[in-house]
Amino acid sequence: MTGPRAWWNLIREPLLSVLGAFVVGALLMAASGHNPISAYMAMIQSSLVGSGLTSTLGRATPIIGLGLAAAIAFRSGFFNLGGEGQFVLGGLAAALVCLHAPLPGSLLIPTSFVAAALVSGLWAWLGADWEFRFGVPLLISTLLMNYPARLLASYLVSKPLRDVASGLPQSHAIPESAYLPGAISGRFHLGLVLVVIAVMAVSWLFLRTVVGYRMRMTGLNARFARYGGIDVGRLGRGVMFASGALAGSIGAIQILGVHFRFIDGALTKPFYAWTGLMVALLARSRPVGVLVGGFFFAAVQTGGFGMERAVEVPRELSQVLQALIILFVAVGAQRPVRDLEEGEAHV
Amino acid sequence: MIQWVYFDRRPALFMTEGAKNNPPPALELRDILKKFGRVVANDHVDLCVEPGEIRALVGENGAGKTTLMRVAYGLYRPDAGEIRVGGARQEFASPVDAIATGLGMVHQHFMLFPDLTVAENVVYGAEPSRFGVVDRSLAASQIEQLSRLHGLDVDPNVLIRDLSVGARQRVEILKALYRRARVLILDEPTAVLAPRERDGLFAVLEDLAEDGTAIVFITHKLPEVMRLAERATVMRDGSVVGTVTVADSSPEEISRMMIGRDLPAPPTRERKAAGGPLLVVEGVSVDAPSGRRVVHEVSLEVDTGEIVGIAGAAGNGQSELIETLMGFRPTAAGKISVAGQPVETLSIANRREAGLAWLPDDRDGLGLALEASITNNLMMGSEARPPLSNGRRSSRRGCEEFASVRAHEYRIKSSDLRAPALSLSGGNRQKVLIARELPLAKRVLLAEQPTRGLDFLSAADVHRRLLDHRAEGHAVLLVSSELSEILELSDRILVMFEGRVVGRLGSAEATEERLGLLMAGAVAQATP
Amino acid sequence: MSELFSLLDVTLLNSTLRFVAPILLAALGGMLCQRAGIFNIALEGLMLVGAFGAVVGSHLTGNALGGVATAMLAGALMALVMAVFVVSLKGDAIVVSIAINLLAVGLTAYLLTALFGVKGAFRPTDLQGLNAISVPGLAHLPLLGPLLSGHSILVYLSWVFVFASYFLLYRHVWGLRIRGVGEHSAAAQTLGVNVAAIQYGVLILSGVLCGLAGAQLSLGNVTLFVENMSAGRGWIAVVAVMLGQANPFGVAATSLLFGFTDSLGFRLQGLNLPSQLTEAVPYLATLAGLFLVAMRRRRALGT
Repeated sequence: MTGPRAWWNLIREPLLSVLGAFVVGALLMAASGHNPISAYMAMIQSSLVGSGLTSTLGRATPIIGLGLAAAIAFRSGFFNLGGEGQFVLGGLAAALVCLHAPLPGSLLIPTSFVAAALVSGLWAWLGADWEFRFGVPLLISTLLMNYPARLLASYLVSKPLRDVASGLPQSHAIPESAYLPGAISGRFHLGLVLVVIAVMAVSWLFLRTVVGYRMRMTGLNARFARYGGIDVGRLGRGVMFASGALAGSIGAIQILGVHFRFIDGALTKPFYAWTGLMVALLARSRPVGVLVGGFFFAAVQTGGFGMERAVEVPRELSQVLQALIILFVAVGAQRPVRDLEEGEAHV
Repeated sequence: MIQWVYFDRRPALFMTEGAKNNPPPALELRDILKKFGRVVANDHVDLCVEPGEIRALVGENGAGKTTLMRVAYGLYRPDAGEIRVGGARQEFASPVDAIATGLGMVHQHFMLFPDLTVAENVVYGAEPSRFGVVDRSLAASQIEQLSRLHGLDVDPNVLIRDLSVGARQRVEILKALYRRARVLILDEPTAVLAPRERDGLFAVLEDLAEDGTAIVFITHKLPEVMRLAERATVMRDGSVVGTVTVADSSPEEISRMMIGRDLPAPPTRERKAAGGPLLVVEGVSVDAPSGRRVVHEVSLEVDTGEIVGIAGAAGNGQSELIETLMGFRPTAAGKISVAGQPVETLSIANRREAGLAWLPDDRDGLGLALEASITNNLMMGSEARPPLSNGRRSSRRGCEEFASVRAHEYRIKSSDLRAPALSLSGGNRQKVLIARELPLAKRVLLAEQPTRGLDFLSAADVHRRLLDHRAEGHAVLLVSSELSEILELSDRILVMFEGRVVGRLGSAEATEERLGLLMAGAVAQATP
Repeated sequence: MSELFSLLDVTLLNSTLRFVAPILLAALGGMLCQRAGIFNIALEGLMLVGAFGAVVGSHLTGNALGGVATAMLAGALMALVMAVFVVSLKGDAIVVSIAINLLAVGLTAYLLTALFGVKGAFRPTDLQGLNAISVPGLAHLPLLGPLLSGHSILVYLSWVFVFASYFLLYRHVWGLRIRGVGEHSAAAQTLGVNVAAIQYGVLILSGVLCGLAGAQLSLGNVTLFVENMSAGRGWIAVVAVMLGQANPFGVAATSLLFGFTDSLGFRLQGLNLPSQLTEAVPYLATLAGLFLVAMRRRRALGT
């Protein structure tokens, strides 16, 4: 459906959820002895103006990208909770390519993206393969696979790949030739542009291609899709590969555009993957919604730091606000994913 | 006509005037009004049932019978009117209140817990217990006593999931009796039963009525009305048309009251010269995921321009056979070919490519994506072909035009094809399915329960489309548990019982009685 | 090889019971929800809130049992929020669970700073942990003594709850009603059972159990609170429910297995292995468990 009415229907509940969360957040602050109005003012000022905006955009890049990765899977009916592991492995692969591949500088960037996408895509593909081959539920397997992925990366940079001289659990720095254009300024880098292009591309994929149609129908009713002749197993493996590959590429963007080396915990501590997942839920897996929602959640997080500096409200309030939004969004929203198993037991 | 039709209000008035020794009516509904939005489902309806009476409530799908009984049972609140049970006025907030006053209802879809035992199902919510611990031996003995008393043969200690459909229905009746129901409402109780089980049910109901229980049974099958009921109340378009004493009436009169006019003549079938088999099934067996064999070595052929009907009570392997033909389940053994091409190892997509299409029984869960737009539902299976796409990229205009042409051709009533399929009525949902699948059925259409739940006119429309499809030289394999439908449409008829074909008849030699015997598992009677 | 055997000593088995308790308590809560038709994957968050509540309560009352009570209350309150959104507002249980898990992380971190002005970890010097109970008579038994004795009250309680929940589910009227609600809530409703009340009940009960699980983590296994200290154990409990097929003894057996791998991982750290590898052991074991569930279901369907 199109037209203003349909648009309003689509954004009404997310807007009300945001409103509800901020009201509850205000009550929480008031209860712990803070003035919510000045806190929210500080939040807006520090996230949307000047250097705050730059910081918000920088944070929005991985959040939108990982939100989009989650949305690709959710909209097709696959609950990929493994964004974090896929993101970390992608970053690790990109760092390894930049550090060890005997390539000229100009090839480092594309090669590290390909490597990141391949590694993370395959990692996510495993979850789909196990679901279709053995019946292992994807929701749980992808989640559990986050832990070994994270621990593997952590081990590598604290032992064999460690830059011992730095004294920290991190890899050596990547060569400057592998930096994303614009990264050196510390302001905007190519990553944001790439992510916005990805949003447009996925939007086009969903609405204007045969595969996109098949993904949407599988997400709405997998049995119907199968009945109609869609090979759901093949589609699901492809979708999970794509979702993982995108998450991995975002890992590469963070390494090549922000950290310039693999630092233990740098990708996981800011909760990017989980924030992206929340954004996908908030946006009901609509790519443009992910773009808007991702920017919004990034602003809430950046604002959280400003708020802590200005009025001493703990910045963790941002996390509380985000979780509350998703709590409200869950009401009345359809589950992004349907049960793939066929009901055998009819009564 | 008026000489044997009288209106329910009359006996009610008569009762209140005097006759003190007559007991009050077991269930009395007065002036019930029930609206859903702008749709009036029950338009000031009266109904009065005496203790010990068996009353049939007949009418077409959508006439308001089930709604009326749900109002009586407390599932819906009436917008106006009153409910009296045993003469006392009642307000039901929920079925819980209705059960407490002595009402019981057996729903069309059973309300049973599959993984609990029969005893647990019967006592649930009213358990005999000591200090909160369920007294299981007391429960079992109470149930055994009840089932002996009323001839409801069922073992209290088995799980529901291991019971046949007929036994599950007996459990439902036991549930009502355990709660001391004096009025028992049954919604289409025979729809799921084989004829033998149906006879058993009727014996139980007659026995209960003799003991003074009032029985209301909803049906649209006139032979059952004639056989079981003393009186029949006929509904049409939300109102009661009248109540007849069955002994003084005839099936023709009742059906005229149901439809409001004479039955239209069944569509004529012209036998076309068969042009060789389009669908050939040889010795196909199917195993359930549990490993149990559910279809045993079924062989059949459907020729060009032919409709072959498969008769059988639900759950005798027909669904599994159809799902296997379509590739939805693996074939355990046997061969399937479409126009000479073997398909048993092909994917669903390739079988569709070979010219198979399917109208599934489970329309909402399998045949449609209810939350997707009507257009998107119509596109399935054609999405990769022009004019909808060039194989990769979709054309929005192509899709919209395609959908609007189909919607027009198949008279789908919707103001906006971008609205979700959820917004359509049951009849229109089936039209969406037919509009999608008939054009895809280049060779063979598998039509499963194609008119279940549709009103008379929609059903007639579906029948006409199936006959047209046949006339165009396609093959149709029809599965239905409605014998009248099978008899009306089929050129040849197969009967399935417990996963096997137990009878093959030509349309000339098939009668309802013969089919009924075969469906009940009586001796197989094959003709070449 | 001998090194490996030296690991399998009584101390390992003894510590197994300690590691089992949080998983088992949370899994029993998840099992009850499952039986009432609610897929509760918020065990992780409920456990975290419990761990936080336990430390706060113990710190404020100066008594570990005060901490346990606070943990139960905190878990119950969080579960109540979940119940409001899942049962009353009909939110999707999976999405609500994810939100609850993230809310637990955010809220505990927020309150840590707002109430105590610290970030990351909280370890007041006067914090009272749970005492090890030496069971009279048991402690002196050979072999079994050191294995079974000397645990916190919660470790013993977790096993009591296994039998209690069996009795509840299969003998008590409430259990029958819970199982009916889980199998066919509409049918239960028409028979006069208050489905919403039952679902509120089991969710709050699961909150209490997860609260106890958290208390075992922050006052039993260690005596401090660290941000996100449940560290995936709630998810392991979710798998334990699946693998144990929502049956109390099945859940107990799988929790025992996962707790053993947890303590084995902990124990392996003594072997100079990278800590990341030993930390990964329980998750890899749980993944393997998932495969077992799937295989067994396939096989059960195949016979």
